[in-house]
Amino acid sequence: MAKGTVLVVDDEAPIRDILSFYLKRSGYLVLTAAHGLEALDEMSRSRPDLIISDLRMPEMPGDELCKRVKSDPATRDIYFIILSAMDGTASRIGGLSIGADDIIPKPFHAQEVLAKVDSTFRLIEMQKEIKRQNRELTNLLQRVQDEMDLAAALQMGLLPKLPGEAEGARYTHRYLPAAGIGGDIYAVVPLPDGSTAMMIADVSGHGVTAALISAMVKTSFENQVRLGGEPLGWAQGMNEYLCRSIQEEQFATAWLGRLDPVGNRLRYVVAGHCAPLRIVGGARGGLQRSEVLRGKGFMLGLDEQLPFVEHDAEFLPEDRLVLYTDGLVEVEREDRTMLEEAGLRRICAELPAGAEEAADAVITQAQAFNQPAPFVDDVTLVILDRKA
Amino acid sequence: MLNIQTRQEGTASVVSIQGKVNFEVTAQLRDVIRETVATAQPKLLTINLEGVSFIDSSGLGLLVAARNSVDKSGGKLHLCCLPAPVKKTFDQTNLTNYFSIFATEQDALRGA
Repeated sequence: MAKGTVLVVDDEAPIRDILSFYLKRSGYLVLTAAHGLEALDEMSRSRPDLIISDLRMPEMPGDELCKRVKSDPATRDIYFIILSAMDGTASRIGGLSIGADDIIPKPFHAQEVLAKVDSTFRLIEMQKEIKRQNRELTNLLQRVQDEMDLAAALQMGLLPKLPGEAEGARYTHRYLPAAGIGGDIYAVVPLPDGSTAMMIADVSGHGVTAALISAMVKTSFENQVRLGGEPLGWAQGMNEYLCRSIQEEQFATAWLGRLDPVGNRLRYVVAGHCAPLRIVGGARGGLQRSEVLRGKGFMLGLDEQLPFVEHDAEFLPEDRLVLYTDGLVEVEREDRTMLEEAGLRRICAELPAGAEEAADAVITQAQAFNQPAPFVDDVTLVILDRKA
Repeated sequence: MLNIQTRQEGTASVVSIQGKVNFEVTAQLRDVIRETVATAQPKLLTINLEGVSFIDSSGLGLLVAARNSVDKSGGKLHLCCLPAPVKKTFDQTNLTNYFSIFATEQDALRGA
């Protein structure tokens, strides 16, 4: 197989012959042309890797040929070496300024041309290799991006369908992952006795690993809920499962609750998570006072032996529950302050009726507070309104 | 970037941290803690959090992992000098009861 194709363009036949001889002997395929027009004609049939061209020729001189080759996107990557009888720096600069890649002064030794051609082909090979690797990288990146998009769509599919309807309650969510996919998850599960099981969780870290664990958190929550019992038992069961299944430094903060619409009670466990807000009469909209449903507890997945505590609160018709992950309130502004729980409570002091409208208001106001950077971590907000 | 300093106090190693401990810097802190535990094999690892303005869940995870690795090598982990915002995060996650926490570095080193 030939080492590559060289097109030799010169109006002097002896020069074409001697270059052809040496190049062929070194293993190159050689095309020849007597001037620029003939060269272009030759190139319409086969594409050389390198052109060696004289400057002064009839029909079309070498500088014109060079301009044409270098201005056509289809041929501009072809290496162009000018053979020039006009020795000296001025002609070198002139040759390079018309776009030639190199210049060999006339008179030349055939060996010198050959050495230059060999080194040029090493360059060409390197460039081809770089282009090939670049294509591979681009393809790989595209595949990774496609996978991420697919995973993000899948994760969105894990969230409850909206508009959310539970026994005697309506809910909605705003889910804003920081990197396409994220470690936040929430779930609402209706129970056979008419109560509703709820969970919101934030897995430590970001990206694919956190997303994968968030799916495990959701599945283990649903499994625990199916076994019956109360949030305390769910938290213990989920904790045991996660301690066995996930690695060091990975864990989830979570809030688990069971809403009993008949007894108007909310039983819940705070597992290292942001304590939710209860807004008495919040579903009616307008000015209200929010209260923090306090509770202390360890994160899930930390240590199998750790105890959890269950709390109990009143949750009446038309009350509103605001669940969120820390990404909503922990954005550091330029003045080094953050919205924090207190800021969220200020926002919640006056919200519109309707969970959708309220969710939009919270996100808009939190983003406005965080300007110029809106959110940097995964953000999840769930608003649940009890019906009248 | 975190500012992390380590020093030896007898058989104890002290790691002092200054800055915001979040996802971006946990790798840096993890390396320092690992190296300290591996090379000094301290009976007591004290982490001074006085200069920490904020710690997020990945930072907490790192401290929990640090405690586990020190436990495994037969040592102890003490934390000290938690500023108010950090203390709040520890309270919220109940980690105040998970770690041995001391008001001053001297107390942490005495284990009192």
